[in-house]
Amino acid sequence: MNDNTKSKETTFTFDKIKQDVLRPMQNHKGLELWIVFLITVISVGAWAYYVQLRDGLAVTGMRDYVSWGLYIANFVFFVAVSLVGMLISSILGLLKVDWIAPISRIAEIIAVAFVAVAGLVIVLDMGRPDRVLNVLIHGRFQSPILWDVTVITTYLVISSLLLILPMIPDLAICKKEIKTAPPILKKLYAILSFGYTNTPEQHKHLHKMIRTLMVLIVPVGLAIHTVTSWLFAATLRNGWDTTIFGPYFVAGAFVAGSAALVIAMYFFRVNYKLKDYITELHFDKMGKLMVAVCLVYLYFNVNEFLVPGYKMKSGDSVHLKELFFGSWAIMFWASQLLGNILPIMLMVNKRFRMPKPMMIISIFVIASAWFKRYVIVIPTMLHPHLPIQNVPDHVKHYFPSSVEITVTVLSFALALLIITVLSKIFPVVPICEIADQKGIDYKIEE
Amino acid sequence: MKNLSTILATLVLVFAFMNSASAEDWKVSATAKKKLNPYELSKKNISTGKKVYQTNCKSCHGDPTKANMLPLVPVPTDLGSQNFLVQSDGEIYHKVKVGKGAMPTFEKTLNDESKWMVIAYLRSFDKNKKKAVVTKAVVNPEVTDVKIELNVDTEHKKLNAHLTGLKKNGKRAGLEGVELSFLVKRAFGQLDVSGEEAYTDAKGELVVQFPTDLPGDREGQVDLTIKITDEDEYGLIEEKRVLSIAVPTNPKNPLDERAMWGTRANAPIWIIASYVLGVIGIWSVIFLVLFQVFQLSKMRTKS
Repeated sequence: MNDNTKSKETTFTFDKIKQDVLRPMQNHKGLELWIVFLITVISVGAWAYYVQLRDGLAVTGMRDYVSWGLYIANFVFFVAVSLVGMLISSILGLLKVDWIAPISRIAEIIAVAFVAVAGLVIVLDMGRPDRVLNVLIHGRFQSPILWDVTVITTYLVISSLLLILPMIPDLAICKKEIKTAPPILKKLYAILSFGYTNTPEQHKHLHKMIRTLMVLIVPVGLAIHTVTSWLFAATLRNGWDTTIFGPYFVAGAFVAGSAALVIAMYFFRVNYKLKDYITELHFDKMGKLMVAVCLVYLYFNVNEFLVPGYKMKSGDSVHLKELFFGSWAIMFWASQLLGNILPIMLMVNKRFRMPKPMMIISIFVIASAWFKRYVIVIPTMLHPHLPIQNVPDHVKHYFPSSVEITVTVLSFALALLIITVLSKIFPVVPICEIADQKGIDYKIEE
Repeated sequence: MKNLSTILATLVLVFAFMNSASAEDWKVSATAKKKLNPYELSKKNISTGKKVYQTNCKSCHGDPTKANMLPLVPVPTDLGSQNFLVQSDGEIYHKVKVGKGAMPTFEKTLNDESKWMVIAYLRSFDKNKKKAVVTKAVVNPEVTDVKIELNVDTEHKKLNAHLTGLKKNGKRAGLEGVELSFLVKRAFGQLDVSGEEAYTDAKGELVVQFPTDLPGDREGQVDLTIKITDEDEYGLIEEKRVLSIAVPTNPKNPLDERAMWGTRANAPIWIIASYVLGVIGIWSVIFLVLFQVFQLSKMRTKS
């Protein structure tokens, strides 16, 4: 609680902001160790993936019943988390909510990292990844799969642009200020700053483009999660055959994304010593935002489970009883309670909207969000409308194999590596935007 | 070796005990046991029973006495074995009707007559009752080169089959009282159009009315197979013909129309339009923005 007491008296100058934000980019204490760790994990995952490529998908736990297993659940989770970019920098940005300024770039970094890995996870799930382009060559327009691939690619591009464009003024500063940067990085700063010198004309021009992209990403962001839900909802299977799957997924994505953002905010606040920028106010606001999105998600959950639970159609009842009281009950109720109901009850109290409690709550929310995706994908696959006769017992159950788990860990390590690299080569807090907001004049020299 | 035989003997005993234990599980009341097959063991009934057996029982039990049942646990009984046939008609009837464990109930699936026909068929393997099989009044002469000739009355859609065999004296003779099956090839199997009582008359002839409403292909053609139903006596004797006597139809391939289930080329226009326009719309804005970004550096010189 003592980490933020002096922030109110801090006087901001452009030099101070510049120094505070650029310092962690030049201080690499512990970075090598972290990167070595991540690369080790990725190497082990890559080996597991090689085994899967060599021996085929039979090395996974997936069989005739569960053909969408851990990978697809993980894919849905990654897509969900990536939606935070659209929520924070776009929806709130367009609504001119000004407190998001210091955290919008972190949100964009998370969005880029997670949507990029989400696309990769799909390829990792393929038995013949060399045929991935067939989706575009032969894909049917009626199939949500073609739309999903299109929308994810588009979202990745727009998110990257929304990360880079608002960063152009800051990169112009980086180009000049970070003298210790390796030449290749200097070159990158030089290219990506597009000769920006903060003339009024440039400022206006740049912000017009950013606003265009902010508007553009709203339909694309909604589409990415709606189409992902259609992968499920366009079938007749119990548990997926519902009309609210699109908004249900979008609401769930806001919850997971916000939680990821809070964890990242806490990390950068502590490790990058950015307490003056990512303040208690931001955690308080994020807490309120999370209560709001959690309530919406809870509302969808009530609809999603109470309405079919009331009717208990024969197929649904098998599925729902498995979720409510059966073998999925612990996972189902834990994800509902720890990931939704309890966080709402806690976060309505101001005490729990402080940085550390928020971070801990967010860890529970994001872990629950992951298990929730697992509960959405796998139990339905275990109850086909046309069961196979004399099916071997192991086909009726699913547990991810060690290869599957290792490859999934790889996806997380990869996302963390992307975030690490992006947050080391780019300023995580927008320097010029903060200065603009605080009414500080500044010049960017070429 | 001694150990092995001890173990084997024990196993055999255990299994024998288990079998007898499971056999005791069928509780058949005394009155049910007393029931007798009301149908006589005529050749016709046996043949009918065989048909029923082959569609309902054979998939698990295999052919009687051939021991080609499915390797299930517990192993389905060979219904032609004498061990099985020591049971009374009523006992077998009860078991078919009620079922137990993996043996399904046929109470609703088969009507009473069919159940008794199956029992008649099984009795034909019973060494003690074989004598009781009512032999047919007519005895066909011993023949070779049995064949079916078919004459078609296209106008009235009547199929006239003539079953003959070559007698020892070199003359062809009609075979009487033989059941024929008239099978029409459909999408998933064969449709039996023989009707009831499809037995040849004294001349070896049988006239079957082809259904007037049976759809064929575009030209009204159907693949017809005529065969002797029971292959036991003369072996597999069949005659295959393509006949133009069915109702011509113009089958519509659902893949030919634009629909959600269609191929990529047959996607509904609106969905192609949404996709293409969406992609073009979004990506042209992206390219526009990218182009505009490169304008930034030009503005620098103006300041």
